[in-house]
Amino acid sequence: MQIIKIACKFVKKIKRSFIIKYNFITLITNSNCSFTMKKILWFFICVSLVSCKDNTMQYSDVIGGVREAELTSPPHVPMTDKSMRHPLKQIVKLEIIEKVMEMTDGVEYTYWTFGGTVPGSFIRVREGDEVEFHLKNHPDNKLPHNIDLHAVTGEGGGAASSFTAPGHETVFSFKVLNPGLYVYHCATAPVGMHIANGMYGLIMVEPREGMSEVDREYYVMQGDFYTKGANGETGLQPFDMNKAVSEDADYVVFNGAMNSLIGDNAITANVGETVRLFVGNGGPNLVSSFHVIGEIFDKVHIEGGSMVNYDVQTTLIPAGGAAIIEFKVDVPGTFILVDHSIFRAFNKGALGMLKVEGEEDKSIYSGTIQEGIYKPEGGTIQEMPDDGSAKTPVKTAALSFQEKMEMGQRVYNSTCMPCHQQTGQGVPNAFPPLAKSDYFNADMDRAIDIVLNGKSGEITVNGKKYNSIMTRQVLNDNEVASVLTFISNNWGNDKEEVSASDVARIRSGH
Amino acid sequence: MLQCTNILKRLISILITASICCNVHAQTAIADMAFIEGGIYTPLYGNDSVPVQVKPFYMDIAPVTNQQFLEFVEQYPKWQRDNTKRLFADEMYLSHWKNNTELGNNAPSNAPVTHVSWFAAKAYCECQQKTLPSIDEWEIVAMAGADKKDARKEENYNQRILDWYEKPSSFPPKEVKSTFKNYWGVYDLNSLIWEWTYDFNSVLISGESRKDGAVDRNLFCSAGAVGATDLMNYAAFLRYAFRGSLKANYNIKNLGFRCVKRIPLKK
Amino acid sequence: MRYKYFLQLLTFIGCSMLFSACEPQELQQKTLETSTQTVEEELPDLSIFHLPSKWATQSNDTIELVDLRGKVTVLALIFTSCQYACPRLVADMKGIEEEVAANKRSETNFVLVSIDPENDTPEVLHQFAEEKELDLSHWTLLQGTPDSVLELAVTLGVKYRKVSAIDFSHSNIISVFEPNGELVFQQDGFGADNTDIVGHINELLKK
Repeated sequence: MQIIKIACKFVKKIKRSFIIKYNFITLITNSNCSFTMKKILWFFICVSLVSCKDNTMQYSDVIGGVREAELTSPPHVPMTDKSMRHPLKQIVKLEIIEKVMEMTDGVEYTYWTFGGTVPGSFIRVREGDEVEFHLKNHPDNKLPHNIDLHAVTGEGGGAASSFTAPGHETVFSFKVLNPGLYVYHCATAPVGMHIANGMYGLIMVEPREGMSEVDREYYVMQGDFYTKGANGETGLQPFDMNKAVSEDADYVVFNGAMNSLIGDNAITANVGETVRLFVGNGGPNLVSSFHVIGEIFDKVHIEGGSMVNYDVQTTLIPAGGAAIIEFKVDVPGTFILVDHSIFRAFNKGALGMLKVEGEEDKSIYSGTIQEGIYKPEGGTIQEMPDDGSAKTPVKTAALSFQEKMEMGQRVYNSTCMPCHQQTGQGVPNAFPPLAKSDYFNADMDRAIDIVLNGKSGEITVNGKKYNSIMTRQVLNDNEVASVLTFISNNWGNDKEEVSASDVARIRSGH
Repeated sequence: MLQCTNILKRLISILITASICCNVHAQTAIADMAFIEGGIYTPLYGNDSVPVQVKPFYMDIAPVTNQQFLEFVEQYPKWQRDNTKRLFADEMYLSHWKNNTELGNNAPSNAPVTHVSWFAAKAYCECQQKTLPSIDEWEIVAMAGADKKDARKEENYNQRILDWYEKPSSFPPKEVKSTFKNYWGVYDLNSLIWEWTYDFNSVLISGESRKDGAVDRNLFCSAGAVGATDLMNYAAFLRYAFRGSLKANYNIKNLGFRCVKRIPLKK
Repeated sequence: MRYKYFLQLLTFIGCSMLFSACEPQELQQKTLETSTQTVEEELPDLSIFHLPSKWATQSNDTIELVDLRGKVTVLALIFTSCQYACPRLVADMKGIEEEVAANKRSETNFVLVSIDPENDTPEVLHQFAEEKELDLSHWTLLQGTPDSVLELAVTLGVKYRKVSAIDFSHSNIISVFEPNGELVFQQDGFGADNTDIVGHINELLKK
């Protein structure tokens, strides 16, 4: 299609007045690769002559019918029309709801949403469609809102026409002229605050001929959040204007919260299937280096447009931008979606999971075949640097067992769960299990030390080798004691109780 | 004329109980209002913004309550729910009341009246010989802190307002005078409900085509809207955007009003 | 002492106003009812003719909006000292006038309401009409009070703000009303394509 477009422009330039009337073009274009170079070129020029003409003709195409557009919550995407079709008038009804939801365990945030979710409902239309957009501002909401759809050709992308007071509804309509994946967002002052509170989503404008068929489609959108309290601080956290202005995010997450795509919420596929991800970035500030650990993107529609790049490891998604990513999953496993600005992934929440089930294929991925000791000449054992800035322990009253279990659960969910998983099962080949873990139960002082100072290098847990890095966790003595007590008293472990003084002892190096 | 005779009757009865009627009446009126010195301030909007001189006036210390508004519609039946022309108040007008003349459970008598249109609010104030506050008047009172006339530079001033804006509304709202009291002794500004202003339509955030009106458009576009040194504008932007989204016959769940009284010029 | 004296003065004024301030409203309604007794019930709820205010025309006649009843009304808010937008707005109105069939123009009110009632007296408005060559057989220019202009403007969703003693920022909206005063169409922004608005006017004139 790309070549056709380029040819299209070329032909348009030299032969603007040329007119041919045909209507059966798109079928021919996708096949035909085995001609000689010359023939292909001529063929393309002929075809694009027809298709260029065809494009302009279809702008005046009669609307073939009316329907209410299906909207879906993330990570789901509405069904597509399988074949080529006439343009439709699509009625989109989107409701704005301001509500408190969980950012992560124990941390709440007042989100402003399009359709009750962050990101907002996914909208899917086709090039040439006429969209009648109904924006409803729920009466319980406190603020006026509007919508700027990047897919709209017109002033403000609809912002001025859709400015809506609480308890009211505005209607405007537009024709979608350009195919692509587009961001929409609220554009009411102060824009940054509306976006920072979650007012963004994606609208897919399919090309006239539709999209190629794939097995799975998912909707993922990154956003950065700025809270009064630091990452993990519990309670209802208000928006922090100063942090937002200095772009100092506390949370960088996919689909509005830390656990949206983790554990039971992971997106799934089977071996051999092709997955298409509609990935957006709402911002408000940060640019995403989107990467899936253990997969290579077969195809990327760069910035959501018509240009396709192949065999991509990490694709850049600007704030207020998007990308369509396709890849076939060849082997089973858990593939981690990250913003490869990697501290965001491990410390601020930019993690998601794609779980693939099916038969292993050792010819594609073997697992560890051999292991041994490696001693480079004169080499010393590498250790994770400790900058010595560990917090001085805070003297607090000792917690009861029950209090430790409660605090421990909270700390676990916000700090440990992304890697070690909901029930401590870990992620095969990546993160060791904490459930029924021989390594964990063997030495509690070592466990405390790992939480305080981090751990790198190879370890063996329940007979399997792991070689990854755990960063040191910034937790106080009570929190460390609690989370370890929580782990030890769950999932078949040895039921030890750890005290803050144990932690203080290890922290001071004894 | 019938209503006015009613007032007359009431007044006469007051006259009998208290021989100096006017003073009694006036003192209560003033007692429920706070004297505002006025002064100079620079409004948020427009690059034609120049400091504005606000003359001294009295402001109601609390928003008008359901009970007070009920008394008003009893006196002026044309402002009752079913009698009001849609031009002046759309179908949501007083929709949380039980009926024309009863409040019901959703409208506690001492909670601020909401679901009230600009026309209705304006008529209420006029019949108290008062008027709706102008944006400038409202803003100059709202910029006070607990013990300062202008607390806008204080950090918690902004945070308090933003915190309230951010929270979805609770309904029905709490009683009047239950939230923040400021330097002037005025309650509930930026902490209980939104409030109508007389000239709410002077916020030109759409339909404006003048070249120098471009800054108002920043209420939609972020370009140059907020500089790092002027973070306080966040709260103001939210407020101006809200006003800009209104039409005069709208009745919104968390929008009420209070009145002001201008001071006649001394001869 | 002075303050006390002042308070008493204030309460006196307040007290005397208690009888008068709400009265005009009652009276106004009364006069409205009597003057248009026969048709009052038929006015649609959303008719702008419910606005009770009185206006002075360029010929110094006093009218109410309801006096415009019976014809299609095309209305815009302007001020005569306006340098930039209003001349365009008036030009647009004239453009619309030209596209309305000549024999139908007498069935149409073209109304300009001043948002600057302090300066735009009937004399000024009359002079303005002459300068712009407005045919006063179907053009009407109105001076209200600041309050009545505001009420009309908020009803139409027209925003304006006094920038200085002689300058206003304002939205450029032309409104079309059917003969009973109900809003049918609004054109926002000047220099716009008149097709839609003229279409609506001609549609109304057909009836």
